[in-house]
Amino acid sequence: MLTSVVHVCLAGLSTGMFIWLVASGLTLIFGVLGVLNFAHGSFYMLGAYFCYTLLRVMGNNFWLGLLLGPLCVCVVGYLIERYFLRYVYHLALPYQLLLTFAFVLIFDDLVKIVWGPGSIGSPSVAGLAGSVPILGRNFPVYNIFIMVVGPLVALGMWAMLERTWWGRIIRASSSDREMASAIGVKVPALFTAVFVFGTWLGAVGGGLAAPYVGLLTPGMGESIIIDAFVVVVIGGLGSLKGAFLGALIIGLLSSFGTRYIPTFDMFLTFILMAAVLLWKPEGFFGEAK
Amino acid sequence: MEEKGFTRRDFMKAGLLTAAASALGPGVLRPTGLWAGTSKIKGPIKVGYQAIMSGALAGYGEFHKMGVIMAAEEINASGGIAGAKLEVQFRDSTLKKPQAIKNARYFVDSWGADFLAGVDSSGQALALAPVIAELDKVIIITHAATEKLTEQQVYKKGIRQIFRISSPTYQDGNAAAFVAKDLPAKSWATISPKYEYGYTCWRMFKNTLSILKPGASFIAESWAPFGTTDFRPHINTILDAKPDGLYSTEWAGELITFVKQAKQAGLFDKIKHVMFPVGAAMDVLEGLGKEMPDNIWISGRYFFLYPDNNQNREWVARFKKRWNHYPAYVSETGYSAMFAIKKAVEEAGSKETRKVINAMEGMMLDSPAGYRIFRKEDHQAIYDVPWGLTKTDPRYPFKIMGKQILVPAKDCFNRPPFEGPGTKPPF
Repeated sequence: MLTSVVHVCLAGLSTGMFIWLVASGLTLIFGVLGVLNFAHGSFYMLGAYFCYTLLRVMGNNFWLGLLLGPLCVCVVGYLIERYFLRYVYHLALPYQLLLTFAFVLIFDDLVKIVWGPGSIGSPSVAGLAGSVPILGRNFPVYNIFIMVVGPLVALGMWAMLERTWWGRIIRASSSDREMASAIGVKVPALFTAVFVFGTWLGAVGGGLAAPYVGLLTPGMGESIIIDAFVVVVIGGLGSLKGAFLGALIIGLLSSFGTRYIPTFDMFLTFILMAAVLLWKPEGFFGEAK
Repeated sequence: MEEKGFTRRDFMKAGLLTAAASALGPGVLRPTGLWAGTSKIKGPIKVGYQAIMSGALAGYGEFHKMGVIMAAEEINASGGIAGAKLEVQFRDSTLKKPQAIKNARYFVDSWGADFLAGVDSSGQALALAPVIAELDKVIIITHAATEKLTEQQVYKKGIRQIFRISSPTYQDGNAAAFVAKDLPAKSWATISPKYEYGYTCWRMFKNTLSILKPGASFIAESWAPFGTTDFRPHINTILDAKPDGLYSTEWAGELITFVKQAKQAGLFDKIKHVMFPVGAAMDVLEGLGKEMPDNIWISGRYFFLYPDNNQNREWVARFKKRWNHYPAYVSETGYSAMFAIKKAVEEAGSKETRKVINAMEGMMLDSPAGYRIFRKEDHQAIYDVPWGLTKTDPRYPFKIMGKQILVPAKDCFNRPPFEGPGTKPPF
């Protein structure tokens, strides 16, 4: 019984951290730029593919792949922000959704053309491949690694936004674009930087997820992006704290749901989202508008 | 009106002339060269083939194509079908029902297909059934496995245009139970897809094994929705239940993910008897490579090392030479479907739907997988596919079937009328 509960918890926490890595970039981009970026799932997919390809090229060095792969995706993110998104900031939300959704379709097909329509097996990470017994049941070392990386990313982002000069400028620009630019902040350049950073987070999420899922598939970003959206909505659009907490809740809920109420496991997260939207439409930590 | 130059009478005359010319045509303008056939079948013979060519399961589509293209090349190189050229067009079926229907209608209405073939998803196959009846073209299903297609749509509702060349869920459920009855495992559990195919196989496995081995118990089930990437919670459910055996109809990419995650969780150390009814698919074996554990029971719709005879060995060698791959089971079923069409059309002496159906009912087909007979009542091809234990073999970069057990199709396939005593195994 204890083994069971502990392992269901561990599974939930690691699932939650996978979702958080993707949701963090999504909520950051929304919080600062006010853009709901559908293409974030594509950055996740591209991150996985670029990491894999670089890893293959450079003698199966996972860490080098993880370092360089997301940087390549950042270039893609930069081009999208600089030459497309920038022109729709002032338009209504549906235009942004349409544009970013168009990129989802384009990237799915591009991946099929470049890497083939089938799935590619992803190797496990040397050094993190095994399992450790916890209360008599094996738990993957890689998942423990993810459970460490997730909070570190959260801590790093919090420190950057709350404790640095850059963070202050970002917060200032997001709360009042005009005033920030009036006092000399180059808002467009800042927005590009934030978008590229958000892209990087999504790509790292993809690069880290591939060894656990074991497969790279065109369209692999689509299922995770739904979970990430739910998390961001529950936590409060644009709130990092909310997204972190939301990811933990969704991860645990799906793990416990699958184990103890399997008939309804697919509905649980959406029931929670509906409940939050009814009683606290701005999310746990969102600002009421 | 009459002064317009081209009167109704002229129009009639022109029409008559055209009709006369076309009637004379075959005699006057006898085709020469490769397609100088002897029969009265007007070529080409067009086959519209749909399979999944995008998303996580796109690997299946590629393997379908390899088999079908190779069959068309071989058939056309040796005189075509009764002298007529075989033409195949492919379309991506995705997994959505409306897309399957759209493809079928396009093939028949716009492209002028004489036959249809392919289809991976059970749900799509069932949705297509009434459309096929309306289009009135023969379709040969090469993958979709639900027994409801042949038992209900063909046998009960009488949609005679549907044939299935691949083995149905009887192989996954019933045959698995025959293998399981001789294993020391008493309690069984499942992690399977949360849709029609997963439910129907597990039900069949349970029912048949309960009869074959009255002491067997079924103690846990965990259903993974389509697109599951994290099986950890499902694995916990199964490990908590501590079954002796695990039965899983997960397939393609999801089976690969599941095996990798189960391995990390130590599932294969704790559960000694594991059965994957579609684990012998080449995309899974190649995708997992050495990571597939040894001594797992696997099966499929065909396995390239069975039957161990010259005909199959030569076919596998030809396939390997043509595509640099070992044939997947959908390659074999796609390949054989083309030869089934050839044989039926040649026997019928026509590509007319009624005549082809009559020729195909009860028809015996010699194919790489061995002899197949299309059962008259439900149009299901009867042929044998082994179950086997995974084994490392230095000649292959992936696991193959070592020890094999053959449950003959005649012993494990449900029998018409599919209801009442004596219709379900054991017989």
